[in-house]
Amino acid sequence: MTTNHRGAAGPAVAFRDVVKVYHPDIKALDHVSFDIQPGETVALLGPNGAGKSTAIDTMLGLRTPTSGEVRILGGSAAAAVAAGQIGGMLQTGGLPEAARVAELISLFRQLYRDRRSTAELLTLAGIDDLADRRVERLSGGQTQRVRFALALAGNPELLFLDEPTAALDVAARRHFWQSVDRIAGQGTTVLFATHYLEEADANATRIIVVNHGRVIADGTPARIKAVTATRTLRFSTPAPDPSELLKLPGVSDVVVNGDAVTVRTGEADDTLPALYALGHRIAGLEVGGGGLEEALIALTSTDNGAIMERVS
Amino acid sequence: MTAFLRFEIVRSLRNVRFVVFIAGFPVLLYLIYAKQTGTSQGLTVAAILMVSMAVWSGMGSAMFATGPQLAKERQSGWMRQLRVAPISAPRWFLAKLAQGLLLIIPGFVLLILLGFGYGHVHLAAGRVAVLAAVLLLGVIPFCVLGLVIGLVFDGQTAQVAQMLTMVVLAFLGGIFIPYSNLPHVMQDIARALPSYHLAQLGWNAVAGRALGVEHMLALAAWAVALGLIAVWRWRQESTTA
Repeated sequence: MTTNHRGAAGPAVAFRDVVKVYHPDIKALDHVSFDIQPGETVALLGPNGAGKSTAIDTMLGLRTPTSGEVRILGGSAAAAVAAGQIGGMLQTGGLPEAARVAELISLFRQLYRDRRSTAELLTLAGIDDLADRRVERLSGGQTQRVRFALALAGNPELLFLDEPTAALDVAARRHFWQSVDRIAGQGTTVLFATHYLEEADANATRIIVVNHGRVIADGTPARIKAVTATRTLRFSTPAPDPSELLKLPGVSDVVVNGDAVTVRTGEADDTLPALYALGHRIAGLEVGGGGLEEALIALTSTDNGAIMERVS
Repeated sequence: MTAFLRFEIVRSLRNVRFVVFIAGFPVLLYLIYAKQTGTSQGLTVAAILMVSMAVWSGMGSAMFATGPQLAKERQSGWMRQLRVAPISAPRWFLAKLAQGLLLIIPGFVLLILLGFGYGHVHLAAGRVAVLAAVLLLGVIPFCVLGLVIGLVFDGQTAQVAQMLTMVVLAFLGGIFIPYSNLPHVMQDIARALPSYHLAQLGWNAVAGRALGVEHMLALAAWAVALGLIAVWRWRQESTTA
């Protein structure tokens, strides 16, 4: 087992009021601020095009922000890269042809000065059986696992993973997250991007939700999930009484339009029995919500900043 | 850097297209044409052609280190992966330059052996050494040219761009047909090309003549000019990408 030797205290990542403009009218990052403390495992959650990759590329020094400040391990991204302190698994990353997996791993181990053994890398990435394989003969999922091994070669203090499980099947995914957990247990700070709420919830100690280049929520998985557990119930009932419906457990919002009723609830499991217990005739009940899109709507419609708890 | 250099050389030598390019093609041409009789400026056809083919092979090897391969790896995202690993851009470039220079050795050795064994070229060891030195230093602008092609074109078009560049440089540089047989207009163009100057240096080395400072200066000028383009493109890509 290897352990990291930490430098001076301070955030592993400091992202202060960062703006990235590609086009005059497209802000990929719109005044984004957050700190990531050493030892955290943070999920950057958001739909495609939310700005996750731009944020990660900026932290890796692959993109320069239009304005704002980015500090990685107390210095610039370039300095952290040059010192071999960070590992990155980018969203797209082909491997160079005519190389064997073992040669690639050997190259990266040497670039990072032998910080992690080949055997450990092969096991962590789950590619023990692929060491002699030529890169051209790897499947998409195998390529992704090899890239994971390369990102770990330097036993980095800070590990960036941009949608790391996109091409992995269920078993490979489970192995992958077990390995991330192990690395985090050794002290590595991990930041991963995903558009799966479940993946963020299961593997992160903190979730930062981004959409349209802005941070719309930042908190523990429990807090984020509580908000995103919001369900929308739609039904019709004769002469609905909004004040009665608002008293049902979990209900935050009621909209009545003739016979049609829309109820928003954070505790659908409690709301439904209570609704039926009122004894009205309920017809055409639909339950909506649960997906990331719904969660984003829920998060966006909450008073801005309501779930901006600072994780210290 | 040596780890990266070794990695890149192993990959190149596995590449069939590269081996055909540096060895197969010039060897075949040599076997076909070296038996022609005749001399020019004191050199036999076999000796002239040995130098021509060594220059072709050297140009190709030097440009192969970067060229289409770099274009492909920029496109696939491999270059981005390297940029987040602890290998700086200058060290990467030095490794690429070293790769280009070292990879001309197999083709060179093969053509010298062929020239001696098959073409009955008689050459003192000293002149072979001068020829080797001329090629080793003289292909530097071609390494940089490959870099420019790899940085300017995408994965699909770089291959075509490289082949066209090679063929044009070889024909106009007097490598495939004697320079003096070219129409006058083309001779004027040829005198501006790095391939012409490299070939002239090669023939001068074999003939034991003065190498010619103007040829060296021309190659150095090409290396600097192409180097500036490469740095500009590299910066452009790393700031806007």
